[in-house]
Amino acid sequence: MTFSHLHVASAYSTHYGVTMPEALAEQAAAQGASLLAVTDRDGLYGAVKHVRACVAAGIRPALGTELAVHDGEHHSLGRVVVLAHGNTAGRGYAALCRAVSAAHNNAAHHGAAHRAVAAGARAPSIDRVRLAELAGLQSLTVLLGPASDVGLALDRRETTDAQGRLDAWLRAFPPESLNLEVVCHLAEPGTAGSVTPATRMLSLAERTGLPAVLTNAVRYGTPDEAVTADLADAARNLTSLAELEHPQFNGQAWLKPVGAMRQVARMVVDAGSHDSGALERMLRDTEQLADRCALDPVADIGLGRPRMPEARIIGVTGDPVAELWRRARHGIDDLYAREGGRAIEAAHTQLAHEMKTVEHLGFASYFLTVSRVADIVRGMGVRIQARGSGVGSVLNYALRTSSVEPISNGLLWERFLSPERQTLPDIDLDVESARRHDIYRTLFETFGSDRVSLMSMTNAYRGRGAVRDAGLALGMPDAQIAVIAKQMWRFNARDFRRALEEKPELEALAAEVRESQQLDLLVDLTAKLDRLPRHISVHPCGVILSDSSLLDRTPVQASGMGLPMSQFDKHDMDPMGLIKLDILGVRMQSAMAHAVEEHHRLTGESIDLDRVPLDDPATFELIRSTRTLGIFQIESPGQMELVGKLQPEVFNDLTVEISLFRPGPMQNNMPLKYLQARHGEVAPDYLHPRFEPILRETKGVVIFHEQVMRLFDELTGCGLGKADVFRRHLGKPEQLPRIEAYVREKALERGFPESVIARTWTVLAGFGSFGFAKAHGAAFALPTYQSAWLKTHHPAAFLCGLLTHDPGMWPKDLIVAEARHLGVPVLGLDVQHSGLDYRVEDLPAGGQGSGGQGIGGQGIRLALPELTGSSVAERARIARHQPFSSLQDFRDRVYPRRRTFEALARVGALDSFIGYDRARRHELLAHIQALRGTAVTIAVDQLAFEVELPVPTFTGPRFNAVTSLELRGRTQTDLELQGLGLAVNGHQMSMFYPLFAELGVTPASKLGDLPGGTEVLIAGVRRATNTPPMRDGRRVVFVSLDDGTGPVSNVVFFHDAQERIGGAVFQTNYLLVRGHTRRSGAKGVSLTGENLWDLVDVAVQAKKRHATEAAAASTASGSGSSTPSAAHFVTDIAPRPGDRTGLHPVLLHPFALRESG
Amino acid sequence: MPQIIDSPVDVVLGAEGDPRAFIWNRFEHTVIGQPQAVFKRTRWWENGGAPVRIDTELWRLDASRGGEEQHRYDLRHDDDGSWVLALDWG
Repeated sequence: MTFSHLHVASAYSTHYGVTMPEALAEQAAAQGASLLAVTDRDGLYGAVKHVRACVAAGIRPALGTELAVHDGEHHSLGRVVVLAHGNTAGRGYAALCRAVSAAHNNAAHHGAAHRAVAAGARAPSIDRVRLAELAGLQSLTVLLGPASDVGLALDRRETTDAQGRLDAWLRAFPPESLNLEVVCHLAEPGTAGSVTPATRMLSLAERTGLPAVLTNAVRYGTPDEAVTADLADAARNLTSLAELEHPQFNGQAWLKPVGAMRQVARMVVDAGSHDSGALERMLRDTEQLADRCALDPVADIGLGRPRMPEARIIGVTGDPVAELWRRARHGIDDLYAREGGRAIEAAHTQLAHEMKTVEHLGFASYFLTVSRVADIVRGMGVRIQARGSGVGSVLNYALRTSSVEPISNGLLWERFLSPERQTLPDIDLDVESARRHDIYRTLFETFGSDRVSLMSMTNAYRGRGAVRDAGLALGMPDAQIAVIAKQMWRFNARDFRRALEEKPELEALAAEVRESQQLDLLVDLTAKLDRLPRHISVHPCGVILSDSSLLDRTPVQASGMGLPMSQFDKHDMDPMGLIKLDILGVRMQSAMAHAVEEHHRLTGESIDLDRVPLDDPATFELIRSTRTLGIFQIESPGQMELVGKLQPEVFNDLTVEISLFRPGPMQNNMPLKYLQARHGEVAPDYLHPRFEPILRETKGVVIFHEQVMRLFDELTGCGLGKADVFRRHLGKPEQLPRIEAYVREKALERGFPESVIARTWTVLAGFGSFGFAKAHGAAFALPTYQSAWLKTHHPAAFLCGLLTHDPGMWPKDLIVAEARHLGVPVLGLDVQHSGLDYRVEDLPAGGQGSGGQGIGGQGIRLALPELTGSSVAERARIARHQPFSSLQDFRDRVYPRRRTFEALARVGALDSFIGYDRARRHELLAHIQALRGTAVTIAVDQLAFEVELPVPTFTGPRFNAVTSLELRGRTQTDLELQGLGLAVNGHQMSMFYPLFAELGVTPASKLGDLPGGTEVLIAGVRRATNTPPMRDGRRVVFVSLDDGTGPVSNVVFFHDAQERIGGAVFQTNYLLVRGHTRRSGAKGVSLTGENLWDLVDVAVQAKKRHATEAAAASTASGSGSSTPSAAHFVTDIAPRPGDRTGLHPVLLHPFALRESG
Repeated sequence: MPQIIDSPVDVVLGAEGDPRAFIWNRFEHTVIGQPQAVFKRTRWWENGGAPVRIDTELWRLDASRGGEEQHRYDLRHDDDGSWVLALDWG
């Protein structure tokens, strides 16, 4: 005997179901079930995972969904379960997909009209008529259960009403497409989950002759997961458990085995008056429906069958294979023309090799599709670059999908595609981030929205979200939760309890948890939520391209940007035969495009970045100097250090550098091995002369996937395709013995000595699945080089691009500081000049910025969006109407809100109206604040005021009389940080410079002059915090400080220092750090931090000390030096005062004692 | 008025897992008719510690000792598998 569950929500029914499909399928199989349905709420979110899990567990899959339904007048008809019929050549599954899409489409359209109903209005719901249409042709069965209008009427004991409602369903639907659903959770008598409504539903079925099927409306696999479902309910309703209006009746909505379901059935039958066959009939009807809904993964769902866009859609009339050949041959002749005969010949040979695989796998349309997309993007004038293993293909290069030449870079086609690697290939396209949405829209227009969809991604609970929702469920105060949530990072929520025991910075929280039962519960509940799917959102780059059957194979719903998005995520693509293109918005591409545009705007010259020679000495000199801030991929503290040690000289060095700086190679100490060989400290070890050609470029260190593949091939003669299979299996320990045996046998045959084989195997096995495809590295190295070239030759335009598109890891304030160091002044916000983007401005001769060398007097004008609190509409009006003849003119044409108006005045953006005389800003601000008038509403939903606004003319003694409290005592830097979050005028640390001088703080710019092991004090504002993975598994914390004198200084805090310092390692913003210098290579220097203080506290202490000393000095006759004594203060900080003598030479005049502002 | 008993008992289960008889005070009480299970949810968040289950399993049944008059009882099935005679409804 078996029981088939036909109403089951998986964890992909977010905030509702809590068990993953894989666990459900395994459990069902273990309970002896032969079929399991998953019917996620409002979608097929877990459908593909469910089908695959069923195949793996050896049971039959069924699919459905639980949908809200409404009638022609948008009255709710409750929720029903819709199940797809199997053995219909996909008709049932297609109807199911269409039903889900229709429900969401309805939500998108009616949601806007009924915004008053807020959240409820946007909930997906399908029109009954539409659902009935789809149920035609025997494709669907609809279950009317307790949540349907029929079931709800029964629960109210309105039997006649229930019958009437059922009649309406029967009229609307084709015969045999409706079943009644009996659910009973054995809840207390008098509730909807008790036997009473269930037995009434059974009676209704008997009266009308409809089949009644038994389900358990499952929300979790096992009873102990009911707690998690309680949390899900609280999260869905945004309330605490105590205040939850309709909590679960009990914890019985689990995947019960057949015995338990029979027990439920019997109790339902016993509770009413039914004939003796009622029980068996209900169970039989359930199994009959189950048989009808069993889906064939291949015939019904199309699992594993790729579907490419139709030929005519990609502009091909004849045979796609012939067309691909034609285009590729043509591309090669074109692109390799400069290199000449042998290169062309080699490329054609390689093309023939690649095409053999393409034809064999039937992927010709795929390549044509991708190259068509690349053409479309280029046609829009958007920068594009291929990334990923596809870069290793001559075919992709010839089609101009990729711009990196693979043969000369030593890239391999087999890393991308081979007969042994049958999953759909992945070509990633990087485009300008600012144009990504335009590109998506164009693709929808070009290919048609029945063939294109965006891909979704499932966002799962992580620490912070989990602790927030667990805290919400417990009804804890927001503020308390926020404090805890802030500390939830750098570990998994499921390991919360262990983290509390181990992490020094969590010690305070751990103590609280020990004291509070509620916090203790919070820790448990947080761990339960961890990793559960939370919501889906549009994937940052995935676009699905298919033929016109797309919407029969995936349900879609509106994404945040309005375009349709599949309910399937990246893991579902390959199984569903859906082609996914990663069109990733890369901010650096936008930043570089902006730089090129700015250069063109100012000079009329066009820079073609893709044709910049890759061997420019000045560019490499800049990279070697480690002033790489803002350069793609190599601007992080760790990268700066590695670049300094590696000293790149040619393009390939950048590829190597980028590939070395990955977790795998770092953990395996590969950078050090490579650097030693590179700098001649040790001889390169090629293991065997036959390996030298493979390993020469990396001095004997195996870094690239391509090298591993070639080693396998050279050792065994297995061919590169097979070699890639071996490479991927290196990450699976259970595969290693088999591969090793094969390698040993073949390598001996091929004449390698035993000892060489043993050593090589050790290297290969140690490599694991780590390392990096050289194709990736080379694709990254190109924008790295291009951005470095721009920084070298067009710093103002480049920094302008960085500031506009913010591509990197560093805050803009640091980019501004970098600009200052490069002699490119950043000009303050000014309503006369500032635009919507950062702009390069030519400076008047002899003006600001004359300090820069070779810059040619260019500055960067701050952009309007930096003003916090200003609206898009206000900024657009400023940009449209500038310049302004007077304050009155400005007000009349811009109509700023009062808040914006005052903020503009405070930061100095209105200084043009007072002759750029900063002192008069008090007067200006007071004048604006004094304005009184009628508020007027203007077009774009904002209030402004309508009053006379004479241009202020201030002269005479009145000029000094006005002091605005908002300006008094604040420097321009303070005002800018407050209003813009950026210090343009001066560095935010400059106010501490006198203190630094007093304490003997070493400026960052001087750190490089110190030998290793020197004890120093450094200080600055925190710019970045990193906790990279370390070889021994112990955490280290890197903190990057900026004191305004030069590049950031990087401090590393090891475990003992972290214990000593506690949370301040992460929490302090302005820091003073004591530590020892650590030299790394010719240019690199960093600090090992031993202790740190909050700079603000130190400043306050110093001020107090000065006050007492001044008082003491004045009482003690005022003789002697009046200079505040720094010595006392420093002894507080430095443990060994004796060392300070060693510091003095570099500390005497490091900071100019200038005031900011 | 029901009488609170709250005493552990041994229970004899039928093939589908429902109680057929229980032994209380050394006497066997035989279940008469079909017992009905009810799962009552708890407000577990008020009692500290995350629970294994969020409901209590109660079986309401009629039983009699030997040939004596039948009473209605509530049997409670706890998480640890033990049975408790909770109430005697008379």
